[in-house]
Amino acid sequence: MLSHIEITLLKALEPQRKYRVDEAASISGMKKDSVLKAAHLLQEKGLARVEITTKKVFRLTEEGKRYLEEGLPEERLVRLLKEQAKMGKVEELKKTMGKKEFGIALGWLRKKGAISVENGVVRLIKAPEFEEREALRAVAEGRAGSMVKTLLKRRLVDFEEKKEIHVTILKKCEEELREYIADITPEVLSSRSWRGKEFLKYDITIPSKEIFAAKLHPYERIIKECRKVFLEMGFTEIKGNYVQPAFWNFDALFQPQDHPARDMQDTFYLDRYVELEDEGDVVERVKETHERGIAGSTGWGGVWSIDKAKQLVMRTHTTAITIHYLAKNPEPPVKAFCIDRVYRRETIDATHLPEFDQLEGVVLDENVGFKDLLGLLRKFFLKMGFEDVRFRPGYFPYTEPSVEPEVYVEGLGWIELGGAGVFRKEVTEPLGIKGKVLAWGLGIGRLAMLRLGMKDLRRLYLPDIGWLRSTPVIKR
Amino acid sequence: MPVVTLYWDELEKLVGEDRQKILERLPMLGCDIERVEKEYIDVEFFPNRPDLYSIEGVARALRGFLDIEHGCREYKVRPADWKITVEPSVLEVRPRIVGCVIRSLRITDEVIRSLMEVQEDLHWTIGRNRRKMAIGVHDLSRVYFPLRYTAVDGNFSFIPLDFNTPMTVGEILEKHPKGREYSFILEGKKVYPMIVDSKGETISFPPIINAEKTRVKETTTDLFIDVTGFDENVDRALNILATMLADRGGRVERVEITYPDGRTEYMPDLSPKKMVVSKEEIFSLLGFEMSEDEIKHALGKMNFNAEISGGTITVLVPPYRADIMHEWDIIEDIAIGYGYDRIRPEYPPTNTVGSTHRWNDVRDISREIMLGLGYLEVITFTLTNERVQYEYMRRKGRIWRDYTPLMHPLTEDHTVVRTDILPKLLELLSYNTHHPMPQRIFEVGDVVIDGKNRLRLAACSTHARANFAEIRSVVQAVMREFNLEWNAAESGDGAFVEGRRADIVMNGEKVGVFGEIHPEVLERFKLATPVAGFELNLSEIFDAGELL
Repeated sequence: MLSHIEITLLKALEPQRKYRVDEAASISGMKKDSVLKAAHLLQEKGLARVEITTKKVFRLTEEGKRYLEEGLPEERLVRLLKEQAKMGKVEELKKTMGKKEFGIALGWLRKKGAISVENGVVRLIKAPEFEEREALRAVAEGRAGSMVKTLLKRRLVDFEEKKEIHVTILKKCEEELREYIADITPEVLSSRSWRGKEFLKYDITIPSKEIFAAKLHPYERIIKECRKVFLEMGFTEIKGNYVQPAFWNFDALFQPQDHPARDMQDTFYLDRYVELEDEGDVVERVKETHERGIAGSTGWGGVWSIDKAKQLVMRTHTTAITIHYLAKNPEPPVKAFCIDRVYRRETIDATHLPEFDQLEGVVLDENVGFKDLLGLLRKFFLKMGFEDVRFRPGYFPYTEPSVEPEVYVEGLGWIELGGAGVFRKEVTEPLGIKGKVLAWGLGIGRLAMLRLGMKDLRRLYLPDIGWLRSTPVIKR
Repeated sequence: MPVVTLYWDELEKLVGEDRQKILERLPMLGCDIERVEKEYIDVEFFPNRPDLYSIEGVARALRGFLDIEHGCREYKVRPADWKITVEPSVLEVRPRIVGCVIRSLRITDEVIRSLMEVQEDLHWTIGRNRRKMAIGVHDLSRVYFPLRYTAVDGNFSFIPLDFNTPMTVGEILEKHPKGREYSFILEGKKVYPMIVDSKGETISFPPIINAEKTRVKETTTDLFIDVTGFDENVDRALNILATMLADRGGRVERVEITYPDGRTEYMPDLSPKKMVVSKEEIFSLLGFEMSEDEIKHALGKMNFNAEISGGTITVLVPPYRADIMHEWDIIEDIAIGYGYDRIRPEYPPTNTVGSTHRWNDVRDISREIMLGLGYLEVITFTLTNERVQYEYMRRKGRIWRDYTPLMHPLTEDHTVVRTDILPKLLELLSYNTHHPMPQRIFEVGDVVIDGKNRLRLAACSTHARANFAEIRSVVQAVMREFNLEWNAAESGDGAFVEGRRADIVMNGEKVGVFGEIHPEVLERFKLATPVAGFELNLSEIFDAGELL
């Protein structure tokens, strides 16, 4: 079957006549490229012949153009001699014509045997014929006669080689000239001209130009999935500011003021302090807990400084938000979660970033215990597609008991995915939280790395557009 | 957190169990195994268990946990005549000193190595880099009791460890490697703590350096250990050291310390501490019931002694356990002794109705609109710098009023928190110029202005013909989908080309900006293709109340 362009060309040209490509293009209304492509395709099928010839196209040089206007130098010399009784002095003629042109004229007239030069005097012997002028005119008009060689020699003419392609349609066959529908245009549709005709078939194996889907960031898709899991389990989503007073980030969580985690080594501090008066007597109770303990605990001893608690930090965990939320909502039952950015003073490498996202959740209730925390974590991981979950003892300053959940990943073994525990009484009592708080925090970046099969965390926050485009929406 | 290197041969000998079994159960005791080698194993123990920073301590815990030796060992402290007098002058600079004498110890290379390592780890953790607590270990034969714990001025001199000529305190703090490392602890002090023996010779300059004369050598058999500091952390450290050396076969002898107010302490105190736990509290915190035998067994595995009578359990806490502050700390150990892997997880019965946060609803709607318009979602850091945020953008930002500077940034790239997302998108485009055009990207996320989070939506389009008309179409579509009335007003934003920029205005208030990015901005970001973009203040438009 013939393609659209082959048919167009076949229809446009008369058989057995030689067309230049540009002629064929203007007759068929196609582009020259398409004509050529079609002609070659037709030639393969024995329906056309493509001939490529090179042709010299002659044209006048600047000098040639001038001589055509003013006459050749020898013509001018003959004219001058005729005006002076067929003779003249070399010196005078040279002056009149210019040295160069006089030389050219003298040479050519001698060759033709039209003059003699004796004792500085030029004599016209016979009037010569000037075919050169006619030849120049012929070249200017696009005809090249037998004189071209002479003109080329005299550099009055030069040429350009032009490649010419001719197409000859050898035969037309009705079979191939059946009407096909190429583009289904509005006209084709409105005129219904496609009825009874065949649609031109395209080469479906050739890939088209790549285009790229606008889509969610792969990491955002995982965050979305985690949010869905917690919303399905009846949790309330909460959110807080990135900038927090040390009070909520550390003190309210019973982190001693000289705890290494509070060092400027690990925390981005801000040179700014807030008043904590709005928080009411909570501050005083936290102070007492740190210094002397609460609910049977001994506390940390020493002196608790409110100034340290007032300093702002880039929050180091979202627990700063959950604890604040619980302080405002101390009555059970509460189920809350938060997935958001946290900051650590770390240099960037493949597994450490100065900011990353944490998934954080709490359950506040009277009749829940450690085993319920384990049950909840197991349910979450199960919903996220991790079937093997185990629990190891862990340590966090604000939980007791503490646990590190791990999931089993084929080929990698047991992977720790965060920390959890029951908030210590030293945390809940001063804030007036009634009941036990099951709490957990998961590094969601690690989860994303497992899911996306990545080895470099930086990818998530410094996205390469090529990576985003090539990461499919459905992974695995 | 300290990583402890445990050599298999020694560990197997001290525990009495093979490495297979140890490796299998160790994680369930509470630690992270960092690496397992043929000769040794590196284990990271938690900061609440400084008693596990030595191989002796780990072996003791494992013997309990592996059911080889349950309960709390009895540690005897023999009476002796070692005396220290605390002088009033030292009270204001480093008021507490405790100590003990260890005799008849076979001091092998292993013991020395372990002692050095545990000393370092204790200094770092409970000592808070020697600030709160510092340890000195001496050859007892070179120490002449009674000792004086006193304070001296900067001209006082003695021969410090690793030197052979006397140096003044001032010289030590300036020139001695340890002096330079720890001089910050004594900064601004007029007097310096010193332990001086009855011959008038210094044995230690806590918390900086010991004297050369009491250096522990291969021939040493008896040790004197001093621990100085401020609070009960000194007792904790001393107990950990004394019990670990007692486990090695050393005989512990007590030291008498007399304070200026006449108070006398006998150290170390290695008697177990008594705590009472109720069964009810155990069941409530753990969420399941256990039999009395199970409770007793679990406590025994964790090296506690327990007496159960009715609903209460009297627990004897070994003297090296520095972390037991509260009933719940014991309950956690009961859970560990019982085995986390034996607890049956159950989904909590707490019944609540879930709900999303308003900000995230707005983010989701924004995503739907932007994806519909063919924009790819990106995520960038919120940490950035003044150069990218303002200088490159031909904009101005006011410190604190607008942006939040970090006090001790780690790199020049991350010195402030972003107040705008658009510069982050341009920065991102500059890393991606080699990918096919057009590139259309957006981010919906938080910025921090005046210390508070704000929600923003920003987008950029870049290709050879990106222009004002294109981005205006996008803004029109976004505002139409948000169902918001707005108008475009003349903008003065230097990031855009004059006459091709506009503020997005609602009810007379500016809520965003869009336009063609100024070529000078493009040049600074090394972008060679035109960019048009917009940024919209979503939290100003969709009021979601105060964040926590």
